[in-house]
Amino acid sequence: MKLLFFLSLSLGNVSAQETAIKGKVIDSHNSNALPGVSVLIKGKTTGTTTDTTGSFSIQARRGETLILSYVGYKSKEVVVTGSTLHIELESDSQGLEEVVVVGYGQQRRADVTGAVTSMNTEKLAERPLPRVDQALVGQMAGVRVKQTTGNPGQGLSVQVRGVGSISAGNEPLYVLDGFPLSGATPNANGGYSSGNPLDNINPNDIESIQVLKDASSAAIYGSRAANGVVIITTKKGKTGKPAINLNTYVGYNERSKKLDMLSADEWIDRAVEMINAQWVNSGEGRTAAQSSAERRQILGLSDDEVDTRYMYDDRWLQAGHPGLNFIDWQDEAFRKGLIQNYQLSASGGADAVKYYISGNYNGQQGMIKEQDFTSYSARANVEVKANKRLTFGLNVTPTYSINNDPGVEGKDNILHQLVSMSPVQEASSGLYPNVGDNPQYQWSTSTNSPIGKLEQTLAATKRFRTVGSIFAQYQILDGLNFKTTLNLDHNDNTFKRYIPFTITGSLPNRQSDLTKRTSGTYSTFRRQTLVNENTLTYNKTLAENHSISALLGFSYNSDKLDNATMSSQNGYGSSTITTLNYALGVTGNTTETKNVLLSYFGRLQYAYKDKYLLSASARRDGSSRFGANTKWGWFPSASIGWRVSQEDFMQNISGTLSELKLRASWGKSGNYNIGDYSSLALLGNYAYSLGGQLVTGLAPSGIYNPDLTWEKSDTYDVGVDFGFWNNRITATIDYYNRKSTGLLLNVPVSQITGFVSSLDNAGSVRNQGWEFEINSQNITGGAFNWSTSFNFSHNSNKLLSLANGQSQLLIPSSFDISHSILRVGEPMYSIYVVRQDGILSQEDIDNGAALYGNETEGDPKYFDANGDGVIDENDRIIMGQPNPKYTWGITNTFRYKGFDLSVLVQGQWGGSIYSLFGRAVNRTGTGIVDNVLGSWRDRWRSPEDPGAGKVGKATGTFGRIKNTDWLYPSDYIRVRNITLGYDLGRMISKTVLSGARIFVTAENFFGHDKYDGGFNPEATNTNLSGSTQFPEAGDYGGLPIPKSFIFGLNFTF
Amino acid sequence: MGFALTLLSCENELDQQPISDPTAETFYAIPNDFIQGVNAVYSALRGYPDRQLNLSETRSDNLYAVSDGGVRDWEGINGFHRTLMSNPYVAEAWLNDYSGINRANVVLEQLAEHGDVVTDTELRGRLEGEARFLRAFFYFDLLRWYGRVPIVDHVVTAAEAAAIPQSPIGDIYNFIVADLQAAIPVLPAKSAYAGVDQGRVTNAAARTLLALAYMTQSGPDYGINGPGMGANNWQQAADLLDEVINSGAYQMLQGNNAYASIFSYDNEYNSEVVFDVQYTTGQNPVAGGTFPWLLVPDTWFNANGHPNQGGLTIRPVSNDLLNAYESGDIRKDFTIQTGYVFNGVAEPRSFFKKYVDLSRVPSNREDWPINFIVWRYTDVLMLKAECILHGASGSQQQIDDIVNQVRVRAGLTPVANIDLARLMDERRKEFAAEGSRWHDLIRSGLVEEVMTTWIENEDSLNGIQPFQLNYTLYPIPQAELDAKPGIYTQNAGY
Repeated sequence: MKLLFFLSLSLGNVSAQETAIKGKVIDSHNSNALPGVSVLIKGKTTGTTTDTTGSFSIQARRGETLILSYVGYKSKEVVVTGSTLHIELESDSQGLEEVVVVGYGQQRRADVTGAVTSMNTEKLAERPLPRVDQALVGQMAGVRVKQTTGNPGQGLSVQVRGVGSISAGNEPLYVLDGFPLSGATPNANGGYSSGNPLDNINPNDIESIQVLKDASSAAIYGSRAANGVVIITTKKGKTGKPAINLNTYVGYNERSKKLDMLSADEWIDRAVEMINAQWVNSGEGRTAAQSSAERRQILGLSDDEVDTRYMYDDRWLQAGHPGLNFIDWQDEAFRKGLIQNYQLSASGGADAVKYYISGNYNGQQGMIKEQDFTSYSARANVEVKANKRLTFGLNVTPTYSINNDPGVEGKDNILHQLVSMSPVQEASSGLYPNVGDNPQYQWSTSTNSPIGKLEQTLAATKRFRTVGSIFAQYQILDGLNFKTTLNLDHNDNTFKRYIPFTITGSLPNRQSDLTKRTSGTYSTFRRQTLVNENTLTYNKTLAENHSISALLGFSYNSDKLDNATMSSQNGYGSSTITTLNYALGVTGNTTETKNVLLSYFGRLQYAYKDKYLLSASARRDGSSRFGANTKWGWFPSASIGWRVSQEDFMQNISGTLSELKLRASWGKSGNYNIGDYSSLALLGNYAYSLGGQLVTGLAPSGIYNPDLTWEKSDTYDVGVDFGFWNNRITATIDYYNRKSTGLLLNVPVSQITGFVSSLDNAGSVRNQGWEFEINSQNITGGAFNWSTSFNFSHNSNKLLSLANGQSQLLIPSSFDISHSILRVGEPMYSIYVVRQDGILSQEDIDNGAALYGNETEGDPKYFDANGDGVIDENDRIIMGQPNPKYTWGITNTFRYKGFDLSVLVQGQWGGSIYSLFGRAVNRTGTGIVDNVLGSWRDRWRSPEDPGAGKVGKATGTFGRIKNTDWLYPSDYIRVRNITLGYDLGRMISKTVLSGARIFVTAENFFGHDKYDGGFNPEATNTNLSGSTQFPEAGDYGGLPIPKSFIFGLNFTF
Repeated sequence: MGFALTLLSCENELDQQPISDPTAETFYAIPNDFIQGVNAVYSALRGYPDRQLNLSETRSDNLYAVSDGGVRDWEGINGFHRTLMSNPYVAEAWLNDYSGINRANVVLEQLAEHGDVVTDTELRGRLEGEARFLRAFFYFDLLRWYGRVPIVDHVVTAAEAAAIPQSPIGDIYNFIVADLQAAIPVLPAKSAYAGVDQGRVTNAAARTLLALAYMTQSGPDYGINGPGMGANNWQQAADLLDEVINSGAYQMLQGNNAYASIFSYDNEYNSEVVFDVQYTTGQNPVAGGTFPWLLVPDTWFNANGHPNQGGLTIRPVSNDLLNAYESGDIRKDFTIQTGYVFNGVAEPRSFFKKYVDLSRVPSNREDWPINFIVWRYTDVLMLKAECILHGASGSQQQIDDIVNQVRVRAGLTPVANIDLARLMDERRKEFAAEGSRWHDLIRSGLVEEVMTTWIENEDSLNGIQPFQLNYTLYPIPQAELDAKPGIYTQNAGY
């Protein structure tokens, strides 16, 4: 120690010319002082950072060069000429000088010829988002994030430029630090049963996110790029002094919406009306005025018996409803959940080694009781420069998460049940009717108390995921580099569920069978993706004006999924043990699948004088998924760009129009999510019983198609990039046209083949639209700054053809007739239902209005579309499309002295939701045991009291037909995020902390949607088609999206 | 060099074989493969009982099930709705029968091609006989629901299938007859089966099916391309039934509790069973049945201390059937549950509980163990009586003897001079909830009169459309029409 001190002292003495250089760093635009700028002496490890006034002091010699770097600013080298320096840094936020990460490399934004959009990740760490996909909402034109679930930690759905596939999924390819992650197509319910690529990826570690939208930029990823490519780059260490950062926040989240249901009194009002009507219609001489006792006598029932069809509970109408509880089930189940996050990271580096290391804890209690998500993640990104030519690197990210979810969302799950549960219950049962020793209330459903289910169900998904990469890069010649990487994504997932008998069945069987009714499940999957990529890159500028960049590569990609599942057969032998060793009989099985993808790819980029830009790429993919006759495919692309603003004739207006670039691109890409063995002649086990024993029966499970191959996508894109006033305002406009052909389609075949459909490449769909992005520094230069980013996109989707010249295909429904159609010329999955036109009056009926079944006055009036005088399924017409036509987002950022305020507002319109949840809470003919939407308050009661004209009489008995009463616009506008921060660094001594910040964030606090029949217009949780061939994920009881409020602190040491 | 080798070995990796599924390439190589191939054809029978309950029992005057406000799929069946083309029960029958036919065609083709690996010629003959019987069985089922259906006698591609039109009724009968006539000589008697082969198709089953096919063909031609052609095959049918009767392999169960014991969970494969669809419980994959629970309301299970079986509401037995039973008929109480109270809530209506043994309720509603008897010996006897009534050789005394044997077992007194209406009435009560009523009405020619009168008397909820003869057939499912535009003619009335 002493020796070191001595050494440095003596060194100081030796370099006699070294003096203390003082300096101040300011923004070249607004002259604001820049704190935290890294100042480094070139060729040495000595460095410092600027303080809150932008000042620094460093020991240096004259003639030495200082390197100044600061996030959001262009780096600058300054030669030491005197003892005080005044340095201006030029802001990089206008983006044209920024570097964007593209497939297998980086490019200057100015040189990009494809459609690539970037997300502002600056505030990511200050938003209470446990997942990266949530952060993408509203940030980029053409990138739509559907927040499909309110269960924290669950994967969302991301769509880039519309939906181009019917059954092979529409999720983009995610590339994490160059590692293409195994794609996941949502299952038929809209969830990710074998993992989502973004699971457990810590948002706080993200440095940048880029989305490759058009085929020319994405086609380098070939058969996986048709839905776009999302490139995520994590934080790396930078040369300079170690920075230790502690980021922490704590707050709560809660529901952003409550569903308007009938109150207990209103429920009683409706029930009495219905019971009386049924009673009066059930026989001669029966009147509504008859008391329950009289009715009991007429029915010949004993004193302790009731017929709930004809008798109501006398206590309903007594003052104070003695012995009954009026329960608002929603209020009982929702809560304010605690959320907290702690992240500690250290980064830094010298010439030879750079590192970024972080650890994060995130805890999120759900907005509904007993639902929560906890994750632990760590990351180490290390890069070692072994010598001048050789660089090694290692990225490793171990993570662990636990998601407790008793089964809240989806049909017949807890949320559905608690919304439609009768609000009137026996007081003696409390919140737990039909649970434990409590009976079912006679006028309520047989559902076990949803609160009981929330509290007593154990269901946890535990995931251990590690994404690891190592790479080596060798500089063969100047400009010629070879890089090889080996990546492994290892995901171990376990799911355990335990349902005790106390929340099952009815009271008699709880009492007689006890733990025989207890059930348990344990299932696991392990997904391993192994990718080896080898690339050769060459960058050279020839004769000053010709810059060339070339890439050649080969990659090997294998993906293996192992599943195991076990479940109890005949209950449990214990009431306390929840593991399957106490189950009476266990069944289980395991399955495995694997696929391999081999690829060769190359790209050539050429620029002349930075003006004329040319890029072309090609990839050849071979996949084990493709049929024997179609193993390999080519995916070419080309694009051109012209930076008009670099031309001489533009120079006189360059003060105003600082950047103008025209772009055009074309490319072919593919979608290879067609299932691992879909092209093979598989046999299925059609088991049977003979002689009381199980026997195996084997027969073909489908029609064999050796030609099965990837879906193809052809995209044209033209775009213009603008920059005004030295790029103070930048804007981008793109038009695109994507035609997807050879869609993986379960082509309906004649069922006399023994099958419903045959998997084939058939049909085509077009997505076309335009996008607009603008970034503007509205006010700069003073103490007050204001900037705006705005994005807007339009997409129109049109089905061009189906198989064999078919003009339409009705998507089956597990709930009644089809309500969704694939019709040529219309958007995919158009909503196809009967239109309701108000309520039938007696006059309508007398005038011969078309009726559905035995409809009478006061029932809904439907539009007789085919004019045949009756209402039936043939009267369905297309009434909407599921995807919005327009999506937009706007972020405004204000800064005043140490304060900053950022507001993100986002929305969409032009789409519709057909809510099968309506079947639970808004069904014509809904019986009394279920509760219904608040709109039933204003139902038709009599010709004199016709209500609001939307809901017919409660006593209608005509049944139901799928019609527009469950159709809602999916339009919404939402203030996604408001963050207010203050730079505490201004008040704290630099010797303790180099930076400190305090912030409050309100997420999803304000908003409006038109989905009165459900919580979240983007929810998907149930397969409405009930078919795996034409899955249609929709809402049947999805949680609202949470709104949250947090308080946070951020320290840099 | 090394790099090139690595690439080559990588390219071999593109030929991934499924890890957890067998493929056709490696199958049909040893005798056991063919047995498993035939088992898969049997497996297509598993939906048969439910289908008879949904499409025959529910269509007939046995059930009055239009009380759920139109929300249940069975209400359109019971209420003669015009728009049954998308009804799941109607769609299911078409798909699953053809699925069975396809599997039979696969086995028959493979036997023709690679059958020599089954060196035991008796076994090979049996396997072919089983496949042919089952194929005929599925065609007969299709014929009764839809009338003219396309004949597929080999494995077809989607393109081939798209061009195959409906066949005339007579051709379908010829196809069925040919299959069964080929099957009868190679199928063994019941006694030849034991252990895990118990319950496979016998020659008696094939004869019974052929007889029933002849009888159905001999039913009245309603002019709608239905199963009845007015053919006069009663004698051929009677001869076949006689062969079954004379084989001595079967008998009616007698003694105390005889009727109930036919359906006892502990008395499967009893001497009354000619052919049954078989189930067993607690297996993985599930090999149990759903039909016992299908017509039973959930709260009755609840009332008896059992959990929900799937949320079904009641499909009430018609008053007409309840009143049809004479007093003292022991079959009524066994077949029908009349009313119950659960949690103080009274349900006065009746429903079929014939197949439910409350002590054997499975934990999974799709896993009931009890077999479904397709034909029992009583049926063979009564079909014989029906043939005689239609002019096959035999006497009125034989008819009366058969029916009285059935009546006495049911605890009733004998009667004489039984006519067709009387016979059908007795069949209705004997086979209630066994899925034969609708077929019986059509075959006997009683359907129009019986149904019209019944609707008039029973339909207090005004939920049933007027009966037409067209409704003796179901419509061809919409999905099938859509897949083959212009090839099919939809049945009249839809």
